Amino acid sequence: MRQLFAPGADAILRLATLGLVLAVLGGIFIAEGVSRSDYFYGVGIAPAQPVPFSHKHHSGELGIDCRYCHQQVEYLASAGIPPTWTCMTCHSQIWTGATMLAPVRESLANDTPLHWTRVNRLPDYVYYNHSIHITKGIGCSTCHGAVDQMQLTYRANAFKMEFCINCHRNPQANVRPKSEIWNMEWTPPVNQATLGPQLVAAYQIKGAQVLTDCSICHR
Amino acid sequence: MNAPLSPPPPARFDIAQLRTRLADGGAAQWRSLEQLADLPHFRAFMAAEFPSVARLAQGPDRRRFLQLMAASLALAGLTGCDDEKPDGHSQEVPFVRNPEHQEPGVSYAYASVVELDGMANGVLVTCRDGRPLKIEGNPQHPWSLGGTDAFGQASVLGLYDPFRSQSVRFLDRPSTWEAFRGAMVGRIGALRAGGGRGLWVLTGAVSSPSLLAQLTAMQAAFPAMRIASHVPAGRQGAYAGSVAAFGQRLETQYRFDVADVVVSLDGDLLDPGPWQVGQSRRFIDARREAAAQGRLLALHDASSIPSLTSAKSDYVLAADPSRLIAIAERLGGGGDAGDAAEQAWTARAAAALAAARGRGIVTVGATASTALQAAAHRLNDQFGNLGRTVLHIPAVLPERAGLAELAAAIDGGEVELLLMLGVNPVYDAPVDVDFTTRLAKVAMKVHAGSHVDETALRSNWHLPLTHALESWGDARSPDGTVGLMQPTISPLYSGRSPAEILSLLTDAEPRDGRSMLAAFWQASLPGDRWPAALQQGFVAGTASPPITPVLAAGEAAASPAASSAASPALGGAGLSLIFRPDASLWDGRFAANAWLQELPRPLTKIVWDNVITIAPALAERMKIGHEDQVAVGVEGRVITGHAWIMPGQAPHAIGVTLGYGRTDAGEVADNAGYNAYAVRQSGSLWRADNVELKRVGEPTGRLATTQAHNTMEGHDLVRVQQIGAAPVGDNTAFTQPTLYDGPDESRVVHGDGVAWGMVIDLDACIGCNACVTACQSENNIAVVGPEEVRLGREMHWLRVDRYYSGAVDEPATHFQPVPCMMCEQAPCEVGCPVEATLHDHQGLNQMVYNRCVGTRACSGYCPYKVRRFNYYDYSAGAAPSLQEQRNPSVTVRSRGVMEKCTYCVQRIAEVRITTDKEERPIRDGEVVTACQGACPTRAISFGDLGDRTSAVTRARADGRNYALLGELNARPRTTYLAEFAPPAAADGVKSGGIKRSGA
Repeated sequence: MRQLFAPGADAILRLATLGLVLAVLGGIFIAEGVSRSDYFYGVGIAPAQPVPFSHKHHSGELGIDCRYCHQQVEYLASAGIPPTWTCMTCHSQIWTGATMLAPVRESLANDTPLHWTRVNRLPDYVYYNHSIHITKGIGCSTCHGAVDQMQLTYRANAFKMEFCINCHRNPQANVRPKSEIWNMEWTPPVNQATLGPQLVAAYQIKGAQVLTDCSICHR
Repeated sequence: MNAPLSPPPPARFDIAQLRTRLADGGAAQWRSLEQLADLPHFRAFMAAEFPSVARLAQGPDRRRFLQLMAASLALAGLTGCDDEKPDGHSQEVPFVRNPEHQEPGVSYAYASVVELDGMANGVLVTCRDGRPLKIEGNPQHPWSLGGTDAFGQASVLGLYDPFRSQSVRFLDRPSTWEAFRGAMVGRIGALRAGGGRGLWVLTGAVSSPSLLAQLTAMQAAFPAMRIASHVPAGRQGAYAGSVAAFGQRLETQYRFDVADVVVSLDGDLLDPGPWQVGQSRRFIDARREAAAQGRLLALHDASSIPSLTSAKSDYVLAADPSRLIAIAERLGGGGDAGDAAEQAWTARAAAALAAARGRGIVTVGATASTALQAAAHRLNDQFGNLGRTVLHIPAVLPERAGLAELAAAIDGGEVELLLMLGVNPVYDAPVDVDFTTRLAKVAMKVHAGSHVDETALRSNWHLPLTHALESWGDARSPDGTVGLMQPTISPLYSGRSPAEILSLLTDAEPRDGRSMLAAFWQASLPGDRWPAALQQGFVAGTASPPITPVLAAGEAAASPAASSAASPALGGAGLSLIFRPDASLWDGRFAANAWLQELPRPLTKIVWDNVITIAPALAERMKIGHEDQVAVGVEGRVITGHAWIMPGQAPHAIGVTLGYGRTDAGEVADNAGYNAYAVRQSGSLWRADNVELKRVGEPTGRLATTQAHNTMEGHDLVRVQQIGAAPVGDNTAFTQPTLYDGPDESRVVHGDGVAWGMVIDLDACIGCNACVTACQSENNIAVVGPEEVRLGREMHWLRVDRYYSGAVDEPATHFQPVPCMMCEQAPCEVGCPVEATLHDHQGLNQMVYNRCVGTRACSGYCPYKVRRFNYYDYSAGAAPSLQEQRNPSVTVRSRGVMEKCTYCVQRIAEVRITTDKEERPIRDGEVVTACQGACPTRAISFGDLGDRTSAVTRARADGRNYALLGELNARPRTTYLAEFAPPAAADGVKSGGIKRSGA
């Protein structure tokens, strides 16, 4: 009787089996990679906004302080999104006719709020407080990146739990002197290893054990 | 398939057998007669940790199992998703111009009042981002002293109630205010020309000085106008009593702080109602003070229907309604003696009153008969208490015509325009008034109410009323203090306040509530005093000074009515029907409030329904089983409901509660329970004699009660501290030595040094449920509905357990609030396979919702049964307006997740962050949990156990401090202070409802 399978069939079967296993594992690997990728989290992608507001221009070039618009950042949980009135303090005087600013003028004229697309977002079960971070020496750029270089605003970091907890586990790596809070270019200096623990002590930052309690962020 | 899902069948037990069992030393403390009877089905219910998963436990077949596994595996990843816009972004919408004094996400409070039957409690309304979210007590308010009640706590849900009336309706079709005004102009003009003849205004209880002034002004413009008032669960009885005794309408106030003994006759001292908050606080404060001095401010209570007052009393007598007058006489030295139990109680109470001349109090409930009211006033006079412990002030509510006068006027064809402001007489008028028929005879009926209710549907016009949290107004408290009501939000719908409606009808230019109120108070509160009064929520110094009334001549000697007959032999005859307002729905007005509907009634633990309570002896005699259907006949009219065998009820009394049997109250409330108004007579509102009781059917299994849910297995659950006896508390703050290594306090003080703990004073707990409602409001706790409660799936994080001890007929009653114990060695944490429940460094037993996979093992391991599982996504699908009520600081839990009390971790976190920024330690009393803040009697202390001077540490050092189920060595952070009780059988009386420890 004639052989049903050629001598090489066994090898093909083995290869195919191996290939299938690799494909499945690779698929999982890729899916995992994609699900953790910056792309998936929208990092670096500036969404469309009603007004193409440039932090680079206002903050970086004109040097307007963060707190001019994000007024509550030092003392409240929410940093605050500026009301139309804040925009119009300047733009009632300069660039009064710019088409780009038409939505802002309309907002004021019609008393209808601007609808900005949210850039940085945490899930509902995470309770983040800006003021405590500012008070304890965590600067804006640690989470938001160099906003003053952003022509259009985008997410600088994927706010995965991993991102938060790395810092909560090791606050001395990111804590900075209070004079540097608003400095968007700040990077840990070479002596951060000695400076960090000193600042942690000076700011009375709770230990990593306490900072990683679930109830610190989840309620 | 469905059978195992249904709750256990109602019990059939033999009461005689129960008595034998108790006499033989059966359960020392019991929750229900089923538990006492120890029936097999009850044992099975107890043994099944999750009666509610019975169907699943039955086991699906292999194919189904695989299907479910595959599906859950496939869907597992979805739990990581949350709702975002399709483009992965949500929106941020800032203001055009930031409002002044309001910052995003920051809570602020308005001082205001919540009103019940015209009487006000001072509150602070916590708002956030423009939305009122939570009611707190106003500590500065002279009457309520920072306490709240369940009604006040739940009023915030009432604001967001999706079934509220939203627009003007004409003949049950949507209309407008302009149309209403247009329709009324001619009529009012004609009425004005006729001096107001034919115009009737029917209000509820009104104590508001501004509204009363407005009505007076209206009366001047329409001299022949009549104003009537209809208050189904009002205090007319108390006023009638003071008129009988003193010839004037008075409010009675008690100085518990200078009293040595309190005797309550059919009393409502601590019961739900407008007086509860202020009165219970004063009583418990005095009791605490007395205990500190080593004596007991004893409460003696004789009543027919068990109430919070009788539950809290140290000496309780189940007195037949017909005997109450005789008991009052006997206290005064006359009358006949009654049976042995009555003799013992009366002799003890009389001796105590005589020994405490001028330092005693005789109190009587507003629902008691006029004769009994008058008798109590005379007793206070006789024992020299008047002007010392018992004070009087002029009546807070004005005298008005009642429904009877209105009915007569309708019959005489004298009513052309009837304006009904905030009342629902079609539902809650006594049946003999036959209001529905009479109302049809009125030419023009205008109804203003919060809901399109029974009366609205039978009126020509319906006008939506604003909620108290949206209105300007004022109202007086039982001590006369004027509280100011201010809006915390613009009206959600097109409602107007009663004052605005009156203005719309009578003023050429309708005025708004704010300007009317300000104009009224301008004279007495000029300049800065008006905003100052608004800010503190009341007008200081408006409490009425006490007056000294004299007993009406001849009254003192006159013997009260001859109704002091001895109790007839027990049988079908001689039964009295006793009406009481419902502890949650009051007179029915809160029927649409789901929090109140699902609030277990303090004594029966029934939810979403009402029952007909009967004494065990009566049930035994008439062969009526628990939850049997019974009919009660009063003069040919019959109501049918479920019988509830009520330990401690007088044998000849049948108890019914008002507020149920609504037909047009909205989806939440319709057709639940029986309507007690259907047999209520205007001649005798609270009691009907010679009623018939008949068993008419088997139990339906429809009743939902939580009394057997979350039953703990153990002993010594509620401890009782007899005055003068050795301390019954645990020797140390922590109960057991530990075999674990390390210093004993290692888990208490480490991390950042704060160790949260709670102490609940059982002597101060009156079982009022304010804490349960406050917890529900603060923590976004879902309402599940009666079907789910029947399966044991209620979600309340805090429950108030009610225990009985002693004889079935006259037991002592104990309340025990049970939140999470925050065990230091938490058994639940051992059970969790995914570390979804674990400790933080301040000793909180945290529940991480996102980690929970729903094994429910933690709940099985929890000896206190404080964990709740979301069987369905109860919070999803809530009406948009209800979602507005939710506390943004607390995660809204979804299906398949375990949840439990967190010690209000969101409040701790807020204070922790604030103090951390200010680089200072947390001050004692800075964190107040929702339950603690709501408690009218300050029964709960909360704070840092690491701080040796904190209130909670001091409470723990009390000799009464004990850990619940301490023998398990879970080392609970929540501990209890034992209840006080009279010294051990000083008078040799053993039984008769004297509180004593279980042993």
